[in-house]
Amino acid sequence: MTPEVAVQQALNGISFGALLFILAAGLSLIFGMMDVVNLAHGAFYMLGAYVALAVVQRTGQFWLALIVAPLAVGALGLVLEPLLLRRLRGRHLDQVLLTIGLSLVIVDVIGLVAGREIRSLPFPAGLDRSVPVLGGDYPVYRLFVIGFGILLAALFSYVHRRSQLGALIRAGVDDAPMLAALGVDIDRVFAATFGVGAALAAIAGVVAAPVFGVFPGMDVDALIYSLIVVVVGGLGTLSGAMAGGMLVGPADTFGKVLFPQFALALIFAIVAFVLLLRPTGLLGRVRITR
Amino acid sequence: MSDRPIRLTRRKLLIASGAAAVAAACGPAATPSPSASSAATASAAATAGKALKIGQLLPFTKVYAELGNSMKRSTDLYLKQKGNKLANRPVTVIYEDEANDPTVGAQKTQKFIEQDNVDVMMGIVATPIAYAVRNAIDSAKMIFIETNAGGNALTRDIANCTPACKSKYIFRSSFSSWQISSPIGDYFATKRGVKEAFTFVADYGFGTESAADFTNAFTKGGGKVTGSLKAPLGTADFLPFVTQLKNQPTKDIYSFFSGTDAINYIKAWNQLGMPAAGYKMNGAGFLTEQDVLKEVKEQAVGAVTSLFWAVTLDNAENKAFVDAYQKEYNLLPDVFAVQAWDGITAVDLALQATKGDTSNKDAFIAALEGVKFKSPRGDFEFDKTTHNPIQDMYIREVKVQNGAAVNTIVDKIARVTDPGKPTT
Repeated sequence: MTPEVAVQQALNGISFGALLFILAAGLSLIFGMMDVVNLAHGAFYMLGAYVALAVVQRTGQFWLALIVAPLAVGALGLVLEPLLLRRLRGRHLDQVLLTIGLSLVIVDVIGLVAGREIRSLPFPAGLDRSVPVLGGDYPVYRLFVIGFGILLAALFSYVHRRSQLGALIRAGVDDAPMLAALGVDIDRVFAATFGVGAALAAIAGVVAAPVFGVFPGMDVDALIYSLIVVVVGGLGTLSGAMAGGMLVGPADTFGKVLFPQFALALIFAIVAFVLLLRPTGLLGRVRITR
Repeated sequence: MSDRPIRLTRRKLLIASGAAAVAAACGPAATPSPSASSAATASAAATAGKALKIGQLLPFTKVYAELGNSMKRSTDLYLKQKGNKLANRPVTVIYEDEANDPTVGAQKTQKFIEQDNVDVMMGIVATPIAYAVRNAIDSAKMIFIETNAGGNALTRDIANCTPACKSKYIFRSSFSSWQISSPIGDYFATKRGVKEAFTFVADYGFGTESAADFTNAFTKGGGKVTGSLKAPLGTADFLPFVTQLKNQPTKDIYSFFSGTDAINYIKAWNQLGMPAAGYKMNGAGFLTEQDVLKEVKEQAVGAVTSLFWAVTLDNAENKAFVDAYQKEYNLLPDVFAVQAWDGITAVDLALQATKGDTSNKDAFIAALEGVKFKSPRGDFEFDKTTHNPIQDMYIREVKVQNGAAVNTIVDKIARVTDPGKPTT
């Protein structure tokens, strides 16, 4: 592999990692805050992509889709939490089953409404070409994905560290019952968290749709990747999702190129290795079980 | 995590079983209930007038659901045109969902054999499922028309019948992967004078088979395959692979991908500016079939592929078929619809030859072997030794016509016949 190719493949890996980070962030947030492994995450991702498809078909506006899809899916999350999830608070297995059920319903409703044909979202105008980068051409859209990932990460860490909302989240992750005891309306915080987590999944769905396509079954692929990322990076922290994305993305890319036969095995080897050395993931926190 | 035990209360049980019942009711509701009255009148009539049971095993869920839907639409249309009677026998079609799972496929096949006692079984999209049920079909002596899966072994003499081999009872109305991969290899080497090619295919049985068949024919024609690359089936990100393609010197790339993979591949190909760099995308026809083309549009322009049909094919049967399908469903038919159409046509013609009798299996097999008709794809007949179709392969190039990207026929290879045994 020549240096130019190595640079290009590194960029490919980083942009894939950025997508994985965006995808896994919502899952990680919901788990950290609510202690729920939301297996409907892939379905929210898929719903985001299909909402984007509907918006783009009607208006041709990718950027409008990037706003509408997370709002719509976020609103759904905001409704589903008090309606369903709240009744099962603290009952982990029941919650897991509920979110699996939710994902089945969402995916089937999408199939009924949008059909089961394979679809694709066009690249937004202006981002559908390549520009010269370090001696080779590189697609602009991938550079946008990297930039978007960095922007989102910066926004998250600002909100997380500096804002009142961030303080609530940090406190909630540490000890939700104590937060409630201090007079914070924990029900509202949880509903908001679930809504934001769903919206993040939808954002990932929109951003990934031009590259990965829009089709029945995309929810499962996304869920598996996001679970790998959060397990490697550490469940419940945003920095964990970043670390996971940045490790899994490039590893997956170079694995596919260098050892195509073992690409998938390589990813799971990394998962196993990380879990052996750090059972809570790279940046995971030790949780005290109550 | 809390380790609270799961308590099963009566209320939960009721909710759970209620949910299960709803799920069962919402399952693939494609199974039409056999009409009781027609069955009753039929049994009173002569044997030949007895209801004909066709078992269709198709995917109605998961990734290939749309293929199953397309084949069902085509079958329904054919039967509708014939007043739901073939050779004067009223027809009952039993649809089952194979869910793209060989285990499920095997169970449903068993159901067709033991419970439904179908006269003819049809369908199956994925090759692994076809291979998985081959022995059950063969030993039950049930007539089966394969309407999609193209794995070579299903209609060939294979040592130890592993993973599968031809059967007297199995016919195929679609294609073998050799048929869509080998002739185009020869065509590029001998007719277009291409000296070097590089193969890039999906890393599963069918893709590997396609690359091998292309490589054999291309090499025999005097060309040289300079290298190969494989991408896992369902690869999300094609950019790393296209980056590799762009960093090797051979310009003609032979590819085998379909569906979402094909869309993502073609988009990554254009994003990296491969056409401008002089690279040419070629491949087996599924790379640029309608499901792909309607999403990638002009991005596929210039791709040269081989397939036994194209929606633009200029013959009377195809025009009638496309018109009728469009009128009924307000959709363009795809290649899968054609395969199902030809499958049910063959059954119809064979039945007419036996005067509606399916009880004498050997006579019915002989009738199927003798079937010859004008299909939307051109002349159709089964190869008597393999039961794979003998058919023309069209070399198609994606061009923009009237503002839409379509496959235009640029050449034809007549009467392509599968060799019927492994090639080297």
